[in-house]
Amino acid sequence: MSSIDSAFLIAVFRRAADRLEAERQALCALDGEIGDGDHGTSMANGFAAINDHLRGMARQEATPAAVLRDAASTFLAEVGATVGPLYATAFLHGARLLEAGDLDRQQIGRLVVAMADGIKARGQAELGDKTMIDVWYPAGHAAIAAAAEGGSPAEVARALRMAAEQARETTVTMIAARGRASRLKERSLGHLDPGGASAAIILAAIADTLASAA
Amino acid sequence: MAAPRPRSVKDMARLGRPPLRFGDDPLLLASWLYYEEGLTQSEIADQLGASRPTVNAYLADARSSGIVNISISAPRLRALSIARAIEEHFGIDDCLVVPGEGGERSIFDRLGGAGALAVKSVIHSGDIIGISWGRTMLALANAVRDIHVIDVTVVQSTGGTTAAINYTPEACATRLAERLNASFVPISAPAIVSSPEAKRMLEREPVIAEQLQNLQRLDRIFFGVSSLRPSSTIYNSGFFDSHLQQVYAGAVGSMLGRIIDAQGNEVDGPLRDRTIGLDLDQLRKVPTRVLIAGGYDKVPPILAALHGGAVTTLVTDVATAEGILRADGVAVEKIGVRRASATPARSDLLRSRIKKFLNSPKDAVNEALEGAFAAFPDHIEPIDGSPRAIRARAAKPAGKVGVVIGGGAGHEPSFLGFVGPGLADAVAVGNVFASPPPDRVLACTRDAHRGAGVLYVYGNYTGDVMNFDMAADLAGAEGIEVRTVLTSDDIASAAHDDRAARRGTAGNVFVFKIAGAASARMYGLAECERLARKANDACHTIGVAMESCSMPDTQRPSFKIGEDDMEFGVGVHGEPGVTRVPIESADRIVDQICDRIFAEMQPRPGDRVAVLVNSLGGTPMMELLILNRRLRKRLEAREIAVHSTLVGHYCTSLDMIGASITLMKLDDELTGLLDDPCDGFAWSFSGRRPS
Repeated sequence: MSSIDSAFLIAVFRRAADRLEAERQALCALDGEIGDGDHGTSMANGFAAINDHLRGMARQEATPAAVLRDAASTFLAEVGATVGPLYATAFLHGARLLEAGDLDRQQIGRLVVAMADGIKARGQAELGDKTMIDVWYPAGHAAIAAAAEGGSPAEVARALRMAAEQARETTVTMIAARGRASRLKERSLGHLDPGGASAAIILAAIADTLASAA
Repeated sequence: MAAPRPRSVKDMARLGRPPLRFGDDPLLLASWLYYEEGLTQSEIADQLGASRPTVNAYLADARSSGIVNISISAPRLRALSIARAIEEHFGIDDCLVVPGEGGERSIFDRLGGAGALAVKSVIHSGDIIGISWGRTMLALANAVRDIHVIDVTVVQSTGGTTAAINYTPEACATRLAERLNASFVPISAPAIVSSPEAKRMLEREPVIAEQLQNLQRLDRIFFGVSSLRPSSTIYNSGFFDSHLQQVYAGAVGSMLGRIIDAQGNEVDGPLRDRTIGLDLDQLRKVPTRVLIAGGYDKVPPILAALHGGAVTTLVTDVATAEGILRADGVAVEKIGVRRASATPARSDLLRSRIKKFLNSPKDAVNEALEGAFAAFPDHIEPIDGSPRAIRARAAKPAGKVGVVIGGGAGHEPSFLGFVGPGLADAVAVGNVFASPPPDRVLACTRDAHRGAGVLYVYGNYTGDVMNFDMAADLAGAEGIEVRTVLTSDDIASAAHDDRAARRGTAGNVFVFKIAGAASARMYGLAECERLARKANDACHTIGVAMESCSMPDTQRPSFKIGEDDMEFGVGVHGEPGVTRVPIESADRIVDQICDRIFAEMQPRPGDRVAVLVNSLGGTPMMELLILNRRLRKRLEAREIAVHSTLVGHYCTSLDMIGASITLMKLDDELTGLLDDPCDGFAWSFSGRRPS
């Protein structure tokens, strides 16, 4: 059984960067409806910077934890904003988990939940506040459940992707309680949370990397 | 009015009606007596010496000629049509929507009152009725009166909960039973037990088994839903905590103690086999299922219950009803007898691309900064070659408190225009509308530190707070003491008692000035902090936008404002405002802003203020001056003295068409600091000494 190694993470970041770039405008438009319209820019630029950085990194020598630590500092220095500290902390929590020992790829859900814990610790949002953790946690838990039932990497990947998509849609029914959209109160209903939308893109990149590597 | 259409008054005049005593206008008199005095048509006929059919004709003509206008209050009609929209959209039998704001009563009492109406309309003698628990259910039971039925049984629908709440399952069911003169069946077990084995054992106990049998035979059930938020019933009942919330990721709420997902299905988890009471399959078999729930936090679970087929009748309030429809993709603005305040936005095709002077959007911020360094070489320069961390050119003496400001780009001349003597020492610049990252703030902090510590002054936004706090931690680790003052002058962004949640907007400029002046006087860090905080507390801002701004990256409006609308209470990030209202004249807009600011600032005759009339980017000076004209009149009418006025582009939101007004209430201390000289490229002032 192969573990979550540097090559895997680098492939995830490359995939996520490509897709965030493709969705840059769409994410900005979503954010414009209930936020300040910069979300696509922050996410696409931030992941592009990570990708550039990792390209220059001697990947065979870097541990997966080191990849995540570098991703954290690169992302934070590039974007700042709200997502900068949130994803940087997510990557650092992920790095901490991987430092504790190798993780099989089927156990990707544990990495996802560790990253969600980081986002929650930094942003202090609760589930149901219409933020990215409303997508990260359900996806992570779905992947853990699929692995617990003995699912293959492809099955775990499918569970992860589907849960992320479903959770992203659920943010439509929520009222924003954190961030700029929270000023809108009930006017935020009926809008997708842009942070949830980009989270689903990253999670799909994780799922697809898992499925294609299997 | 069922009477046949009468002939017109003129016809009758020709027929030789008796003379009237009320001028020449019998219509008005008849209408007055009928609608205002409440007389019957016969009594009016007696008073006027006319026949009853004649009076009837007068009343009909009064309607058609516009003397009498009958209107049913719009919110009520809307409530009605929105209820119908919910029935249609979700395919339920009935929906009751409590209209309006409801005055003093809590949402629980209002919903409980409406729920009691539903009880009255659905129950019959001989029914077996279930009821769940919670604040709404107890209010419903309390509101039931004058329902005359016999042989009714009320069954507690789940086991019991902690007695720490007064709206337990038992309390709700016994109260309803009392009100209906019904017999009461408890469930003599806890709702949640410690293990699946305990559940099986208890359910086999003959007494409990007999009680549970009743749940199979329910004719009607009245139930609520709970969100999973920390103040919710499910938390207060002791069932649920933040640990379980993690386990139940994907859950949107609960009903009858069951945790449900967005489709209204029970989520598998540790509570599932430990819950005693009506389960969701049993619930769906009950012929009449009345859900009573309201409040925005309950929108997801209400939607889930509706999608999951758990509901035949919904009782809710207007705001929640709108929320439910909107969240399910129904355009709520189209419902209702007249449009809500906003006119529907025109098609995207009308305005697509906003023309901008750009090379490449991603280079916009850095290129603008390079242009600023070229334009204002005496004021600003990059720190260590980074264009995003900028310091004042002027020398800073040792022992002076450093003032570091910053935030996203797009607010030009904020914030770099307020760096210089008597203002801030350094500024960190982020991407457009995005906080600068910690390393840049740290570079500014190190540069501004002259041994006396550093004061951060920036707007109260989630992202800025995270990044500046991280920088403060890093600076602290290097031995630099950092204090932070978050600006929160935008009074539209949160209520008065929630001041800490407000965002910082144009009032920033005054706070920078006061903090910079205090530091230039070589005050200590604590004193600079106190004064900056005092300045922030004195600032009151409201912004109004006519058109959205557009980001360099998208070159499209970030949001749409209808042709005849404006956004009241906008901030400085192109985000939508607090309410959308019909556009008005400049004077009326200033009046609205003044009303809000005065209500909060409570100015008294003789008070002094500093004024800032700020463009949000796209509004020209001419219009700012028009606003200032009316503002001065309103201030004079209150006998408020204007100490100084700034008019222009100070804290903008790219190209947003709109303006903000800031009043800073002054005392002698703030006045003195405001009158000190300063020299930033956006605010240069030689100072004013008291005469």
